[in-house]
Amino acid sequence: MAVLANAAPHAQPHSNSAEHDHEAHLREEHLMLDPRPRGEMNAMVMDSMHATGWKFWVIASILAVIVVICLGYYWGLMISEGMVVAGINRPIYWGIFLVNTVFWIGISHAGTFVSALLRVFKAEFRRPFTRAAELMTTFGLVQAGLSIFMHMGRVWLAFWLFPYPNERGLWPNFHSPLSWDFLAINTYLMSSTMYLFLPLIPDLAMARDRSTGWRKVLYRILALGFRGTESEWTHLRFAMNLFAFAILPVMFSVHTIVSWDFAAAMRPGWNSTIFGPYFVVGALQSGLSAVAMVLIVIRGNMKNMKYFIRPEHLDAIGKLMLIISMAWAYFFFNDYMVQWYGGDSWTKVLLKFHEEGPLGWMWMSMLILNVALPWLILWNKNWRRNPVILFTVGFLINIAMWFERYIIIPTSLSINRFPFTYQLYKPGVEVQLSIGTLALFILLYMLASRIIPLVPVWEVQEGQMAHSLRKFGKEHVVTVSDLE
Amino acid sequence: MANHNIPEVKADWEATTGIWGMSIDMDMCTGCQACVAACAMENNIPFVEEKDAGYGRSLHWIRIEHTWQGEYPDVNATSFEPIMCQQCGNAPCEPVCPVFASVHSQSEELNLQVYNRCVGTRYCANNCPYVTRVFNMRDYDRPDPLSNQFNPDVTVRRRGIMEKCTFCIQRIHKGEDLAKSEGRDIRDGEVVPACAQACPADAIVFGRIDDPASKISVMAKNGRGFKLLDSLGTLPRITYLKEEKTYGRTG
Amino acid sequence: MTEKISRRDFLKIAGTGAAITTILTGCGPASRYTTREPYIKMPEYNYNGQSTYYATTCRECAAGCGLVVRTMQGRALKAEGNKYNPVNLGKTCARGQSTLHGLYNPDRIQNPGKHSPGDKSFSNLDWNAAINQVADALKGNPDGIAFLMGLAPDHLFDLVADLCKSLGAPEPVRYSALGLFEARATLGEAARSVFGKPDLLFFDLANADVAFSFGANFLETWLSPVAYTRGFAKMRQGTNRRGYLVHFEARMSQTAMKADEWIPTAPGTEGMVAAALGKLIAENKAGTAPAAFSNIEYARVTALSGVSFETLKRLADIFGSAKSPLAIPPGAALGLDNGLETAQAVLMLNTVVDNLGKPGGVFLTPASPLGNDYQRGATAKEMTALVEKMNAGKIKTLFIHGVNPVFELPHSLGFENALKNVSTVISFSSFPDETAVAAHYVFPDHSGLESFGYQRVPTGSGQSMLSGAQPVVAPYYNTRATADVLLAAGVQAGGKAALSFKDEVEYIQSKLTALVDAKDGFFSAADMPTFWAQFQQYGGWWQNSASLGTPTAAGALDRALKASPAQFEGDGEFILLPYVSPILAEAGANKPWLQETPDPTTTVMWNSWLEINPKTAEELGLVNDEVVKVTSPFGELEVTVLTYPAIRPDVVAIPFGQGHTAYGRYAENRGVNPANLFGKTFNGAGDLTFAGVKVKISKTGKTNPLSRLEGYTRLAQSEPKQ
Repeated sequence: MAVLANAAPHAQPHSNSAEHDHEAHLREEHLMLDPRPRGEMNAMVMDSMHATGWKFWVIASILAVIVVICLGYYWGLMISEGMVVAGINRPIYWGIFLVNTVFWIGISHAGTFVSALLRVFKAEFRRPFTRAAELMTTFGLVQAGLSIFMHMGRVWLAFWLFPYPNERGLWPNFHSPLSWDFLAINTYLMSSTMYLFLPLIPDLAMARDRSTGWRKVLYRILALGFRGTESEWTHLRFAMNLFAFAILPVMFSVHTIVSWDFAAAMRPGWNSTIFGPYFVVGALQSGLSAVAMVLIVIRGNMKNMKYFIRPEHLDAIGKLMLIISMAWAYFFFNDYMVQWYGGDSWTKVLLKFHEEGPLGWMWMSMLILNVALPWLILWNKNWRRNPVILFTVGFLINIAMWFERYIIIPTSLSINRFPFTYQLYKPGVEVQLSIGTLALFILLYMLASRIIPLVPVWEVQEGQMAHSLRKFGKEHVVTVSDLE
Repeated sequence: MANHNIPEVKADWEATTGIWGMSIDMDMCTGCQACVAACAMENNIPFVEEKDAGYGRSLHWIRIEHTWQGEYPDVNATSFEPIMCQQCGNAPCEPVCPVFASVHSQSEELNLQVYNRCVGTRYCANNCPYVTRVFNMRDYDRPDPLSNQFNPDVTVRRRGIMEKCTFCIQRIHKGEDLAKSEGRDIRDGEVVPACAQACPADAIVFGRIDDPASKISVMAKNGRGFKLLDSLGTLPRITYLKEEKTYGRTG
Repeated sequence: MTEKISRRDFLKIAGTGAAITTILTGCGPASRYTTREPYIKMPEYNYNGQSTYYATTCRECAAGCGLVVRTMQGRALKAEGNKYNPVNLGKTCARGQSTLHGLYNPDRIQNPGKHSPGDKSFSNLDWNAAINQVADALKGNPDGIAFLMGLAPDHLFDLVADLCKSLGAPEPVRYSALGLFEARATLGEAARSVFGKPDLLFFDLANADVAFSFGANFLETWLSPVAYTRGFAKMRQGTNRRGYLVHFEARMSQTAMKADEWIPTAPGTEGMVAAALGKLIAENKAGTAPAAFSNIEYARVTALSGVSFETLKRLADIFGSAKSPLAIPPGAALGLDNGLETAQAVLMLNTVVDNLGKPGGVFLTPASPLGNDYQRGATAKEMTALVEKMNAGKIKTLFIHGVNPVFELPHSLGFENALKNVSTVISFSSFPDETAVAAHYVFPDHSGLESFGYQRVPTGSGQSMLSGAQPVVAPYYNTRATADVLLAAGVQAGGKAALSFKDEVEYIQSKLTALVDAKDGFFSAADMPTFWAQFQQYGGWWQNSASLGTPTAAGALDRALKASPAQFEGDGEFILLPYVSPILAEAGANKPWLQETPDPTTTVMWNSWLEINPKTAEELGLVNDEVVKVTSPFGELEVTVLTYPAIRPDVVAIPFGQGHTAYGRYAENRGVNPANLFGKTFNGAGDLTFAGVKVKISKTGKTNPLSRLEGYTRLAQSEPKQ
């Protein structure tokens, strides 16, 4: 099955001009049918990493300054002064930090979803953007982890959450959903990092062979001496398949467990059995939108990326977003119905507060941006394929999903069983720290794009080898051969 | 058919009734805040000043609730209701703490907050249905010489940790130590928390609920008695006695 | 003495000290002061890890509650009630609990000092210079000397009275804002006119089964709040049946919230309502009403007071048929031009149901063991006389102790300006309050918990008693007992100013001599040292049995009451109902925990507010947290609006207690002082008609969010029942 050894292009030259037009159209449309010589493609990817304009560095330095100010100064301030600089109070003990945690874990979901689930189901359109999505997973989880640490009153003792042997014989409380959470996020971070790394090895080897200086040293170390032998490919494939199947339950479980932080608590509005799948779908909703946004940014700003990322990919992601939006609407409705029909009087107060309270606008815009907007726009193929429109929709969905978490956490915490204690939540330093995490995410991504091939070249090439355009009568038919 | 004999999963302490309990007669409570001040003085509770106090960051371990009903002239205020940690037998705050900072003491059967262990996730406070837990948002300034007044029996808490009513466990321990040194069991009424000691109306009664003859046990059986949010199954150790604004009630 | 303790002695003491855990007698700092020592060299009355408890008297108000203060290693840790003291029987209020925030307040005056009036900083003097200054003043013309003191009838007042008598100077004047807001003189005058004795009276709430309160906020600050709260609790637990409380006042106070019924009467008609109830009851009983109620027409009463005749009838039935009914005269309603009649009407209502001297009824307070020749606190009228003397330049030296008249006297009486006409003003204040700032010299007294003393208990106890005070800690700062300063200065001035007492303790003991072998005492002793030790140990002296007097109202019901509604000054549309903040009272604003303790009715902390009916606010377009200007004919102030559901629409209320311009970091520039709106007219007893002002309210466009413990209950409109 030495596929890559046989690098001859499958495409056949054609002579008929009308047929040629149609065929050209198909090739322009589908990356898989538009192969280029291997060397050229490798060079394109290498080029995209190296071609760094001054704009890149300006933006990167602005982001770096923001990260230093927001995460360095303001977090330092919060650690030294206490949570008083944040906006939490009684009874709203959890604020934007946990909103951000849930949000970033949601973002990180799409990477695995796109990469592992689509890989498992052999969705061919995934090929050029699996890595871009996986990077989001890892960097998103970094932000989620940071947000949890920000949230802690005594972050310098955070290591007590680790189950480590100690002279006091004290272990974390495994009854606590927060302990589950901590373990789940750690598991997810480690497995997703490995899952990011495995498919990267051939590309790193490719980069190693095409670079000089410090990059060469770096890639040589990272590529683990990959030479592309038959046995190396066999092992790599096996490991990747294994991870693709193994990471899927982790992905579903991690957000389910995050939802248990809330669902296991005995609060009106939180104590909901549907929270697990609801949170997972919510995570995909924001994560897929984020993938779309990232791809559009990459396509627009990185050299040679218009070849790899084409409207067909935006189209596919747009369809997925539409389906997930419908699923989210179902779960939202389900959750709402169960809570409303449950008849608990305090939950009724809460629902009313969500809808008509001071943040009722947030509840309404969550529904509009999460449901109405995608349903109205994404059904149209042309709109889906338009990068500007898709970017806007993705951005608004992310806003809406952030709102959703905001409504579930600080807004719901306003309401408890003692109306005497009701308070509103006014964010304090959370704003700066949120900006800081966002800036850090973008900065990490930008820097990674200079070091890591954002497009898995070998996967694209593999796909292009498997795809061929055949002619049956007057019809062109795309055929995919099973490479395994 | 479901099997009705399925045993409930309960921890050891849930089966017992607890040792220490409190009853608060809302018919007598005048809302005078003496207990609030006494609690603060006994337990080194800091003041947080105007802005934070108005933003729900005051550190009162007891709050005296009342709400308004109706409109003038048919307006009525609900009874003054001092609410502090209910020392639940089945406390929702305990299982959610990831580091065992909120634990059940087996000897006193109280909910303990281990200040040293607390890392400030504030999950316990979210899960407390009585909203009685308070959080040290910062290191509170008590300018010299106000700090002379610190009670040496009670830890001065630093920033980033939860705290709550302890039933004045330092007093319970003193009482236990004294009883032990005299080779006897602790007597009813021997230990009084700061709030009950100050209460000018004697609305707060504290004592041993495991002793059926104690004053608190008698009060807990009063027909006016009820527990806060009893339906949640938290097994609170505080019994509230209803205020009934009726003329000529006897007993 | 600690310097002389050998190691051997220390070990001996340490061994015995372990046993000393209960209240100590006068062998500690009580005998004389000790110096502060590092912990490695502890005073002999201390033992590592063991607390020492001292009984003393709470000085937060004049009620005379007993305290037992827990100390450890020379520091006061916690104030608890003294369970022996008959006033409070071991209980305390929030103010008593926070008394240590006065002792250890960071803003206390630490040294004697002088400054030019108005300046907040002092240049330090030494005590010799201070005593010289006082001696110079005492040497002057006795007519030019005036003493102004706090409301508590304590040993210092006796000493000053003795000094003034010896010098031939005018008698010292006692004043407190609490006396003003409770209109104590009016109550005393009414008792004199009805019962023949000018007494503050003792209302036996504990044994009453129906109590009608005509606006007395006895659960908050009125006369002796802890004693009355105890009584209230007993009444609620009544031996036979639960006591029933009805409260008549324009605003639902904390006491009214605890009442079973709140009747919002129009301000100034409380007396008419009481009289109408009396008439109804008398008619029910005997068919005819006594002459006292001849001016009462039911239709007029119901029209003016807003209480329907059906309600009056129902309440009269309840009151008339009760086993032990009790009517309690008002607080604020006495501060009106018809206040005296109101008080008389309430006392007559008691007379009609014949509860005088019966359990659950009205009593005369027991005589003080030291004789009853102390005068009551000064009325506003008497204070005006003092102000006029000051303005006329007749007063050369004014000594002020235990009161903050610049803050506590309404602005309209002009005390602050009058101070400028006094050449030497000497304040003995522990705090840089407004009066100390306006004074020339400040010679700080010890705080109450560092002082010796005794205090008469004018009301609140059935027993004849003296509450005793002793230092619970050694003085923290370079302060000196005012009694010692006066005695030393007297000796230095010589002549009549020299009293023959070595120091404060000797003076107190000389006063107590008569009690050493007194009958029926809580303890008795053979000699003074033993008596003194027990006096310190138990925190005072009292009789074992109650010695309440039975009032007689012979002929009182034959004189017709006038029954006229109150007149209000000013052309505003709202009657201003000022009341004393239940938590801060008149002097609690400098204690941070009292500031942070929520007001019982509104749960506001750290500020002042204007209570207004929500409907009225809506009509005026006012919302919560909006700042309004309140204007009376005598002054104006800006205060934050708080809609209060339980206040008459024609009344607004502002608590008294905040609005300090000096008095330390926790009190300054916080809230407003409603006394700035009061007028200058007096009722028949000489009390200020402070509740007889109408005010205008206008918007300012500013907002100032109030800190309230109560969250935004309005967030959830429908609150489910539990």
